[in-house]
Amino acid sequence: MKSSKILKKLINLFKLTGIFFYIGLFTLGGGYAMVPLMKQEIVEKRKLLDADTFYEIFAISQVTPGPIAVNMATFIGYKESGILGSVFTTTGVVLPSLIIIILISLYFADAVKSVFVHRFFMGVLTGVVAEIAYLTLDVWKRSNVDTFYVIVFVLSLIEIFVIKLNPIYVILIGGALGVIFKTKEYMNERTH
Amino acid sequence: MKELIKIYFEFFKIGAVTFGGGQAMLPIIQRELVTNLHWITMKNFLYFVSIAQVTPGPIAVNMATFIGYNMKGFWGAVIATFGVASPSFAIIVLIASVMHNLSKTAVYKAFISGVKPVIIALLISAIYLIVHGSFHSAVPFILAAIAFVVFVKFKINAFLLLIGMGTIGIFLIR
Repeated sequence: MKSSKILKKLINLFKLTGIFFYIGLFTLGGGYAMVPLMKQEIVEKRKLLDADTFYEIFAISQVTPGPIAVNMATFIGYKESGILGSVFTTTGVVLPSLIIIILISLYFADAVKSVFVHRFFMGVLTGVVAEIAYLTLDVWKRSNVDTFYVIVFVLSLIEIFVIKLNPIYVILIGGALGVIFKTKEYMNERTH
Repeated sequence: MKELIKIYFEFFKIGAVTFGGGQAMLPIIQRELVTNLHWITMKNFLYFVSIAQVTPGPIAVNMATFIGYNMKGFWGAVIATFGVASPSFAIIVLIASVMHNLSKTAVYKAFISGVKPVIIALLISAIYLIVHGSFHSAVPFILAAIAFVVFVKFKINAFLLLIGMGTIGIFLIR
């Protein structure tokens, strides 16, 4: 009985690792480009998280140091199976890079510089833009858009494009404004 | 062995001070590893950046693997990769372990409600950075618009969309 439980847990861990290996392998265009694929796999297909929790983890991954993909893999692994889960998912997400880069260093360094690869990558970026645009709309649709929301949104745009503030500060300012103006509301919500 | 430990800690340091993902990491890698430590040449650094961007995976991880491999072969690559991922790993595990209790507090909910609109702004800026840096004619704009419609309407696999757009790009983008 007990050994079958362990076996089940192990199979689950390898499945999780497989998902993140797949995500690491099929992420082109770095950071944000990975999020739409992750959402499809984790939220829509496997239903490991609901969309709101997913976006919450996405938000937290940006206030903590390190690559977003690694942060999200660690987080979801931990949520699924504790520290062991996070070790597996993090390994899963970095393994493809490790393998591919070593192979490129060994054999394909010149091929990567070809004009075809360049054009291919430019094409990929058009897809990345489309997917991030979808993500933007999806986050917007899921939000409770009120005056506070719009003000923080416009303020963030100004901070990013006009003042050119580092994104981490933009996030922290938004969070701080939330704490200042919204904490009371959430406290009342709980007493009801 | 001593050199591997040095590699680990150098990349640990880089991973710990980088906020906002791979692109933010590049200037730091350049300052530390090219200017200060002379572990790689400027020419190699730029070459690695060009490759790390077009190969799958997070750019930061790709750069670490590349530089590690260049310095100490296979184990250099492994150690550098785990070095760069370690700080995120430790911090996220720490946060995730208190998350269950934390997420019920009013302050946490208020914080997240303030971060959500910022995320939208950051996503818009991510789009702007790509468009500004790489869309040099009308063609990519049209392709992106088509890709958007296809992605939203048919809900196709995100990776297949990228591969498809890349393939179209070979023929249409100059």
